[in-house]
Amino acid sequence: MSKQFSRRDFLKLAGVGAATTAILTGCGPASRYVKREPYMQMPEYTYNGQSTYYATTCRECAAGCGLIVRTSQGRAIKTEGNANNPLNLGKTCARGQATLQGLYNPDRVTDPIKRSSRGGDSTAVMDWDASIQVVADALKNNKPEEIAFLMGMAPDHIFDLVTDLANATGMNAPMRFGALGMFEARATLSKAAENLFGQASLPFFDVGGAQVVFSFGANFLETWLSPVSYTRGFAGLREARTKLRGKFVQFESRMSSTGGKADEWIPLRPGTEALVALAIGRLAAEIRGGAMPRAFASVDPKDAATKSGIKLETLEHLAEMFANSTGALAIPGGAALGQSNGLAVAEAVLALNAFSDNLGKPGGVYLSALAPNQTEYNRPASAREMQALVQKMFDGKIKVLFVHGVNPLFELPNSLEFGGASKYVSQIISFATFPDETAREADYVFPDHHGLESWGYQRVATGSAQPVLSGAQPVVSPYYNTRATADVLITAAQLAGGKFAEALPFKDEVEFLQSKIASLMSEADGSISALDIPTFMAYFQQHGGYWKMSDGRGVPSAEDMLNRTIAADEAEFAGEGEFFFVPFVSPTLAEAGANKPWLQELADPTTTVMWNTWVEMNPETAHELGIENDDVVKIVSEAGALEAPVYVYPAIRPDTIAMPFGQGHTAYGRYATDVDKDGNIIPRGVNPADLFGQHFNEAGDLAFAGMKVKIEKTGVKKPLSRLESLMGVYGIGLGEEH
Amino acid sequence: MATLADLKISEVKLAAEQTGKWGMVIDQDICTGCQACVAACAMENNVTFVGEVDSGYGRSMHWIRIERFWEGEYPEVKMTPNQPMLCQQCGHATCEPVCPAFATVHSQAEQLNLQVYNRCVGTRYCANNCPYQVRSFNWRDYQRPEPLPNQFNPDVTVRRVGVMEKCTFCIQRIHKAQDKAKSEGREVVDGEFTTACAQACPANAIVFGRVDDPESLVSQLGKQSHGVKHLEELGTLPNVTYFKGG
Amino acid sequence: MAYEKKQTEHAHADHQGHTAEHFREKHLMLDPLPRGQMNDMVMESMLEKPTWKYWAVIGILSFIVVYFLFYKWGVLIAKGQGVAGVMRPDYWGIFLVNTVFWIGISHAGTFISAILRVFRAEFRRPFTRAAELMTTFGLVQAGFSIFMHMGRVWLAYWLMPYPNQRMLWPNLHSPLTWDLLAITTYLLSSTMYLFLPLIPDVAMARDRSTGWRKTFYKTLALGFRGTEGEWTHLRNAMNIFAFAIIPVMFSVHTIVSWDFAAATRPGWSSTIFGPYFIVGALHSGMGAAVVVIAVIRATMKHMKYFIRSEHFDAIGKLMLIISMAWAYFFFNDYMVQWYGGDKWTQQLLHFHEAGPMGWMWFTMLICNIVVPWAILWNPKWRATPWLVGTVGIIINVGMWFERYIIIPISVTINRMPFTWRLYKPGIEIPMGIGTLALFILLYMIASKLIPLIPVWEVQEGQMAHELKKFGRETVVTVSELE
Repeated sequence: MSKQFSRRDFLKLAGVGAATTAILTGCGPASRYVKREPYMQMPEYTYNGQSTYYATTCRECAAGCGLIVRTSQGRAIKTEGNANNPLNLGKTCARGQATLQGLYNPDRVTDPIKRSSRGGDSTAVMDWDASIQVVADALKNNKPEEIAFLMGMAPDHIFDLVTDLANATGMNAPMRFGALGMFEARATLSKAAENLFGQASLPFFDVGGAQVVFSFGANFLETWLSPVSYTRGFAGLREARTKLRGKFVQFESRMSSTGGKADEWIPLRPGTEALVALAIGRLAAEIRGGAMPRAFASVDPKDAATKSGIKLETLEHLAEMFANSTGALAIPGGAALGQSNGLAVAEAVLALNAFSDNLGKPGGVYLSALAPNQTEYNRPASAREMQALVQKMFDGKIKVLFVHGVNPLFELPNSLEFGGASKYVSQIISFATFPDETAREADYVFPDHHGLESWGYQRVATGSAQPVLSGAQPVVSPYYNTRATADVLITAAQLAGGKFAEALPFKDEVEFLQSKIASLMSEADGSISALDIPTFMAYFQQHGGYWKMSDGRGVPSAEDMLNRTIAADEAEFAGEGEFFFVPFVSPTLAEAGANKPWLQELADPTTTVMWNTWVEMNPETAHELGIENDDVVKIVSEAGALEAPVYVYPAIRPDTIAMPFGQGHTAYGRYATDVDKDGNIIPRGVNPADLFGQHFNEAGDLAFAGMKVKIEKTGVKKPLSRLESLMGVYGIGLGEEH
Repeated sequence: MATLADLKISEVKLAAEQTGKWGMVIDQDICTGCQACVAACAMENNVTFVGEVDSGYGRSMHWIRIERFWEGEYPEVKMTPNQPMLCQQCGHATCEPVCPAFATVHSQAEQLNLQVYNRCVGTRYCANNCPYQVRSFNWRDYQRPEPLPNQFNPDVTVRRVGVMEKCTFCIQRIHKAQDKAKSEGREVVDGEFTTACAQACPANAIVFGRVDDPESLVSQLGKQSHGVKHLEELGTLPNVTYFKGG
Repeated sequence: MAYEKKQTEHAHADHQGHTAEHFREKHLMLDPLPRGQMNDMVMESMLEKPTWKYWAVIGILSFIVVYFLFYKWGVLIAKGQGVAGVMRPDYWGIFLVNTVFWIGISHAGTFISAILRVFRAEFRRPFTRAAELMTTFGLVQAGFSIFMHMGRVWLAYWLMPYPNQRMLWPNLHSPLTWDLLAITTYLLSSTMYLFLPLIPDVAMARDRSTGWRKTFYKTLALGFRGTEGEWTHLRNAMNIFAFAIIPVMFSVHTIVSWDFAAATRPGWSSTIFGPYFIVGALHSGMGAAVVVIAVIRATMKHMKYFIRSEHFDAIGKLMLIISMAWAYFFFNDYMVQWYGGDKWTQQLLHFHEAGPMGWMWFTMLICNIVVPWAILWNPKWRATPWLVGTVGIIINVGMWFERYIIIPISVTINRMPFTWRLYKPGIEIPMGIGTLALFILLYMIASKLIPLIPVWEVQEGQMAHELKKFGRETVVTVSELE
């Protein structure tokens, strides 16, 4: 057989091939009700040498990928992607792989605890009855509007439960927040979609179907929205429909690992993304001929070239590439949106798509499919909304704060003063699985199960053409004396009585889940169907969720999109200093990976640094300042200062420095922190969020990339752990040049 | 012109004829360097982490690492295509003859380079002689505090101090699939199972399978003209084919 | 000096004129003393009551051995090779440098003793014992060093071909297996070869000692009484060993070189490594031998009678020749590697000279070539014990550097530039110092237990040498005794 295999076939076949043949089980070891069985009929998961596989959902980020967890003798031993889940098709990212290191992390919160003073080490272990009473009292003894819930970014069942509770009792609506959402500027994307398409939504970019992809700062191969799905798209791009390898151009001031895969990497001046996008639009429109769209009309390409630092010829060449392609796609994202003009950037880039006429077409822009039990897009809170919450806390309007699935003391910038405001909150109750910074400042920690020990579901916000509701079930029995937060809340609500009890009339979490998915049972076009709820529930767990079999993506309306004027102003930068500051999310650690030792030991895809934080600096700049690799520098912004060692990085603008977000924990377990010579716990690395000021863009997202900073030398050296060789990769230390 | 196979030296002949059994194709053009394979490998194979100081001193235990270099200077700088580097399971491996204890041996059945952990005495000659530098040594008795050992894969030996280790092409998965196929009275089907790295790879950049089966996906891909094998000139007969970028 | 001169005058009542006087002063072989007196001198040098200095040195060395060698070794075993500086790609470090170094040191012993004996080089006579001891003690350090290197030293016996249930044998393809076999053979044969010439001397010591020493020497002497038959057997045995041990010696270092030459690494797979390593071993071995001899002469009683300038002169000539040979092989190795044009080898050669450890490369050349050539060409300097001894130390520094360059520095550069990394030694340094201390300690203890001068060999030589007068000319004649 001499048939030539194309790369696309290879992908298809490999995808099918990778599908696990394991028999999936619907009823996990943490089944709700104890059933007495004769000893001869042992549960299947206790057979010696035999593995049992359970489908569940990955909780490492909010994307909601399906997992298959291999268990043996009641222990979870490997996570794989769920090949049936349309979102990730059997694939996982590194964080999904390392989720077991969270489950079996030596630093979990093992029991419900009461802290004698916030931030202190002295704690007392409580029993769960007393703990639930604490929650019930907190609900009962405070006015509903004085109770607030702060939750993680994932749109999951606990969020629905708390929403129901809030709706019924008049409590503050729960807020979902995560650093990833902040760095992705989800509010900006959603606002831009609302402005241009008339509908708030998370746009979905069909990278796999495109011919040419222009990404304005979107780090879609790292942590952006749904990295596994977008990586699959990228692989598709490299071998698109016409057998031509798709082209990929990245516009960013610092080469991300996404940018490293680009055919052309365009280091533009931060803040000029909108200008560049519009200039490319204008040049492309000129190439195509016809009437000049209003959106592009007011831009002068020469001016854009000067301001952005891109050569005019380059802009013309890119415009030509964009105009002449049958499937050109432009993606806005990342640091480009986290600037004062972020909304304009998003609009300008989306306008390029309208120009490319790809809206709702393969290789173009869609509105993400809403999950099966979802009626409208519900985005996580923006930083400005968080600021409003903080203000309420300062004003004493919040008496009880429940925190679940988020670590605001680490993920929210210091300048928003969550820590300061929390002093005005009389009771903080954390449901943290790990002893993170917020749990340390909480009065009570009532630990939730780890994601692999718990029931639930999670709506998939974006990344799949089909509407997906990923289902979760316990794959192992809880390892510690933890309890599902949903169970705690249901029991506490019943203890609190009144509206609370009425709002949650459930025996337990599973009954709540059933009530939420029961309506799907009879819907047509579903991946599973059953006649009764227990069977449906069993299928739901066995298959790892429920999804529609058809494309559920929305088609954005392109009306008038090009006839609006889009502001082409450059971004404003806060602070005095000679350097633009570009923070980015560590592709391997993201916001909550720092406590997993193997994620710490993964080499960063661009720098190969492990276990620490670094500052990226252009070699020329470093040379001018007399700075070498591993020299610790002090970075001063208007909001703060921090020190980190320099990584002389060849692919960053000379006027820009960059830092990864993900380290700098002061709590969160032994792997997320470091120990000094005297045995004191010190942060591992630093948190660049400490430098962020209080500046927002129009959509309410934090303008985290709109900063200028100063650099001061400290004279200290701190060697970074690199996987790469300085000698072999950079020729440093090999002797004079060859 | 005389070829290697014409020589009368039996071992050279054997090596030249050898085609291998299991192989891999890695597409560097779509590898995004996301490290999912590295994490998957570590989880599957009980690979230990070593901490900040040791990992910065070349002691990390990665069985697969992703290499990247730079081309050009700013602003015309390019990152070279990510290159996942793992044991190439050479048909004519340089690590094998040098081990005094027979801890690095060639599996005649699977055509893989085995590392027999309990036979290893730690001379580190194999690692020294590996042109791909893919072997990891247990420099210390790296401890995984309780309850982290709960996640150990029972199919894979946990290595202790003083032992060399390396990628096995997930031989435990090979054996499992073969046992299953045997019990069902059939051959292992291409794509029935795959290695941990290939299974995790979100871009599907890694394909694993039988290279001695001309119909298999990995064989078909391996025949592509742009496939290269690393350091082939050393006569190591590697079983991993790389597609370079573009 | 004055004391010895007086002795000499006393012994030779019948003056043979100024020339004969001159000969006697210069040459040990022409300056015989009565047997009994010479035996007493050797006994005295051995039995001399140790000074406090001797005990202080012994104490310091014992501390170093116990702490740096054995305690640190315990730490190494308990904690793993991580306490040393090895890593990827420098899987081999100073432990192997020391192994090669000590094997090199051990070479001079056999070289001096066996080769010079076979070729009947008369100047060898007073210091064959000292050299043979160096061989044995050096090999002990080499053995220790290679065991230190092993990741799981408690399983080292797996490298021996012993019958076992699973029919597992060591891999005979591996140079390391051959290393082990060769070193074991060498250690056994050199110990035998040390022992055989020792028999008449311990028999002599047995007859002149009391107490535990008597028992000790009695046991070692195996009942040697000095009969003609015994001498014949001993001479035969020594002759056989002298010839047999030479190929063993050559093979050992050739095999050591195969550890490197057989590897697929740039800079290592060099066909010249076998002879290059042998010459290197002789270079460092002769250097070490001359240091040992100089120290013995300076510190022990009566030694200035036995070891004279003529010996340093002769060894100095040998050192010069060997240094030249080493330079030739070094150049040859470098030339061929450079000419090969392999890009990784080119990179490595550049790294040797211009890399961060370039100073070591240049120091090596200075120590191994420049210093010996500059000093040893001069007969007067060559005959100055402290100077030749210093040159010996310098050569050893140079040769240690050479091995350091071949092992940890060369393995830095491989075909995977992503992994290149510079080696930073850790516990190897104190442990290496420990082996040196143990070597010196063993020597110091041995100097009090066995006659360092093979007295019978000297006497034999003196009996064979005679000054004869032909007319006005005094001529040295040597007769064949054996």
